[in-house]
Amino acid sequence: MRTPRLSPSAKLPRLAALLVAVAGLGLAGCDDHAGDPKLQIGANPVLPEVQQYLMPPMRVAKVVGWSTDEHPTVPQGLHIQALAIGFQHPRSLYVLPNGDVLVVESNGPKAPIYRPKDIITGWVQSFAGAKAKDANRITLVRTKGDGTPELRTVFLDHLNSPFGVTLVGNDLYVANTDAIVRFPYQDGQTSIIAPGTKLTDLPGGPIDHHWTKALLASPDGSKLYVGVGSNSNIGENGIGAEYERAAIWEVDRASGAHRIFASGIRNPTGLQWEPETGKLWAIANERDEIGPDLVPDYLTSVQDGGFYGWPYSYYGQHLDPRIVPQRPDLVAKAIAPDYALSSHVAPLGVAMYTGTGLPENFRGGAFVGEHGSWNRTPLNGYKVVFVPFSGGRPSGPAQDVVTGFLDANNHAHGRPVGLAVDRTGGLLIADDVGNTVWRVSSARPGSVSSIR
Amino acid sequence: MQQQAAITEVPLSKAALRSTATPLGRPFHKILVSFSAAYFAGALVTDLVYWQMPDVMWERFSIWLIVAGLVLAGFATIAYVIDLVTGRKIDRPAIPRAVGYVLAVLLSLINAFVHSRDGYTAIVPAGLTLSGLVVIVLLLTVRVGTALTNRSRVGG
Repeated sequence: MRTPRLSPSAKLPRLAALLVAVAGLGLAGCDDHAGDPKLQIGANPVLPEVQQYLMPPMRVAKVVGWSTDEHPTVPQGLHIQALAIGFQHPRSLYVLPNGDVLVVESNGPKAPIYRPKDIITGWVQSFAGAKAKDANRITLVRTKGDGTPELRTVFLDHLNSPFGVTLVGNDLYVANTDAIVRFPYQDGQTSIIAPGTKLTDLPGGPIDHHWTKALLASPDGSKLYVGVGSNSNIGENGIGAEYERAAIWEVDRASGAHRIFASGIRNPTGLQWEPETGKLWAIANERDEIGPDLVPDYLTSVQDGGFYGWPYSYYGQHLDPRIVPQRPDLVAKAIAPDYALSSHVAPLGVAMYTGTGLPENFRGGAFVGEHGSWNRTPLNGYKVVFVPFSGGRPSGPAQDVVTGFLDANNHAHGRPVGLAVDRTGGLLIADDVGNTVWRVSSARPGSVSSIR
Repeated sequence: MQQQAAITEVPLSKAALRSTATPLGRPFHKILVSFSAAYFAGALVTDLVYWQMPDVMWERFSIWLIVAGLVLAGFATIAYVIDLVTGRKIDRPAIPRAVGYVLAVLLSLINAFVHSRDGYTAIVPAGLTLSGLVVIVLLLTVRVGTALTNRSRVGG
């Protein structure tokens, strides 16, 4: 009787050893084999198979900031210098008609803890400088003709995680994370103390996973377009939390009424009019945790009524296995975006260049500020790229324009976010961990390469 | 008289006494082990519900139950050491039982990572399978443990 009863226990240690070995293999199997990001730039990115992690790779660059003689790098023919320093997490930029630069200093609301994972993610993000205190304000910087600042004031204070700003006539609109607010503005004004008037609510808390609300006015000023990001990576907060999110809203400026202009765009963080065709273009951040090369973030024209896949599919009809129940009806009409920027680069700013201050080859194309990856090895992004356009479409591979945010040790001196073009055609870059606004201009003949 | 003395002498061997009589009461780590096992079993239930009705609420229940089980397993380990040091008696079949339990905890640790994925594939199929496997290992461990305990009691 003893022998048979003993046997299961005798087998247990061996079984345990086997399972531990298998588990070890599983963990080792997570080793990334990230491909060349260049294969994922343009209209037809190479899309590998979905890979599900046991332990998602979280790899963020340690933030070290800029010392006084350091600055990002630009190619020959361009010049970069700090427009102003000492900001508190500057996220986006807007240039007023008189040339004053608005610097939106903002950060997301506190993320709720729904799962143990949220605690870990929060810890990793704080390591990457993403947990800076939310200043909730807009600072105005007035510059002299040569781009050096002559005045700096607090323009608007006590906002709620603001991101998008746009001026229509004398109405200045600020997209807080939960509402579009209108403020009266007169030309030359350096601060606004008048209370704002709410135009419309926007999807905000309590989760508010993607909190930034990009804002763009139609050329005739009658409509506002708002980029509203999803409330999750891939629907893990439930489909109910995604109501009217992962979409671009069209808001009627007179009534505040809105409709969904386009949907299925996971996180549309920047909106611009393409200058040649007048079409709406957007940059978007795609989903995470299915591999180092999935899913490429993108730049795309936005069709009225278009559906771009999220959360059910990506790049057209590539199904995401993490979404059940699926929606074949929606997937069938999912539009593949126009131009992939490669995976996890996190585009957070876009500027269609219509200025004349930079060399000829930049006219009509798009600058994209890539904040940089946090879940990919090797790191990707952490730079400003330029996508050339021709005939209203991207016409070639993206070129690196502003680099050097990462050093050789993969330490981040800064991370580029929002972009804007100033009145003299300089490209402005908000750097939210370097707490600087950079200005790129044409190099003057004989000038030193750059000064800070 | 003679006969009776002979009978009592055998079970009074040191090992036999330790396994049944615990002078300082039930070893504390055992309570924690039971609790963690209950959490792991609870995760299987919520996984099964999610499988049938994929609402994120059940998914969240599962991962918190698994993590709670793992935390208690950590406390159980500490308590086990204290029980050893303070001389509370560890039962004779402790080794096979401990191995089974450690295996269940290791599987649950992997399961916690699987359950931390986003969306449906956090549960189906890998998470659900692991939760099931953990419960099977725990049941097997209890069976083996009981068998050995009974054997040692009867064995006198």
